[in-house]
Amino acid sequence: MTALRQSLELGLILCRTCGLAVSRASLLDRRCPRCQSRIEQRTPFSTEMTLAWLIAGIVFYIPANLLPVMHTSGLLGEADSNILGGILEFWRSGDWDIALLIFIASVAVPFTKFIAIGLLLLSVRNNSLWQQHQRTALYRIVEFIGYWSMLDVIVVALTSALMQFQVLGTAEPRAGIAFFCAVVIVTMLSALSFDPRLIWDRRA
Amino acid sequence: MAVNRILICRDCDTVYRAIPLRRGDVALCRRCDAVLARYFGANVESGLALVCAAAIFFAIANLTPILSIDIAGIETKANVWFAVRSLQQGWISVAAFGLAFTTLLIPAVQIALLFWVLLFARLGHRPPGFGPIMRLLHRTRPWSMTEVFLLGALVAIVKLANWVPITAGPGVWAIAALTTVLALLGRCDPASWWSIVPAVKA
Repeated sequence: MTALRQSLELGLILCRTCGLAVSRASLLDRRCPRCQSRIEQRTPFSTEMTLAWLIAGIVFYIPANLLPVMHTSGLLGEADSNILGGILEFWRSGDWDIALLIFIASVAVPFTKFIAIGLLLLSVRNNSLWQQHQRTALYRIVEFIGYWSMLDVIVVALTSALMQFQVLGTAEPRAGIAFFCAVVIVTMLSALSFDPRLIWDRRA
Repeated sequence: MAVNRILICRDCDTVYRAIPLRRGDVALCRRCDAVLARYFGANVESGLALVCAAAIFFAIANLTPILSIDIAGIETKANVWFAVRSLQQGWISVAAFGLAFTTLLIPAVQIALLFWVLLFARLGHRPPGFGPIMRLLHRTRPWSMTEVFLLGALVAIVKLANWVPITAGPGVWAIAALTTVLALLGRCDPASWWSIVPAVKA
């Protein structure tokens, strides 16, 4: 079994867009010879961009939860509902499975992303050798769960589309849902900005 | 000059010499377990067939109702476009843009670009604009949310079923089929698409 070596030691560089291994010596203009995309040993300003998008995500998450996401009016009167209220309502009415699903998509997933990305940034900053394998797995989990938080935006949109001019009531979207959509997009940008190879780099 | 037959792990930058893979094989990184390469079973014909199927399912999903409710003979229908329209209110429209982008524009662009690439590959030509197209496909990959829309539609059914007579339209099945086909196409990694297209003459 030969020793595992990183591309830098072997004078190679990976094009992350098309997967081609390019020799550094032949690289003239920082462009991949096959697909012409920009090619870098490490994503430039990876940790800075990741942190900036992460902070934006945490900031947007506050109004996303405090502001109402939907306004309903009907025979039982008018009501504003926010995300946590909606989950509680499902829970009380016995639809525990839907309550759990929305809780996972709207609360657990964003929080997991905040904590996981924060942990990755902190450990990379400290040049940590701790659990490199598990931290890479954590990065892949963050990437995978990224877009499922869009669930609530879709549910509110479909509910509002169906409950228009109805005898039984109407539903309209409210500001919270825009912030929630922003949280999803911004935290996805945060995860995409993170270069997992930093976990494995040994900087002197 | 490019170095061929070498794999570099996307997640930890470890370098490997590539070996031929058999059907069902997945090459994993020894250090971090990332997928380095998969056996590439899809040839141009089956790829093209999958893209055509995706285009048909996409059309059905957007032309037929996904959900509909019927109260006293008045029917209200909803599909992806209606969902986007219902979010168009003042500055909440930001969310409408987000939804339109991830559930309409991105899937449509992906299907169109893959069709373009595979059609030319089938005819034995290098598709015009191949490099930029592959870059765009790579960039848009994380932003397609068809499967989340499917789950959202199912949640909406359960949520509204307590109040109103709600039924799932043909659009739900089309979205489910679209999700499956896009997942099959997505499994093929970009590096493999490069290898099936005739190389440019240097």
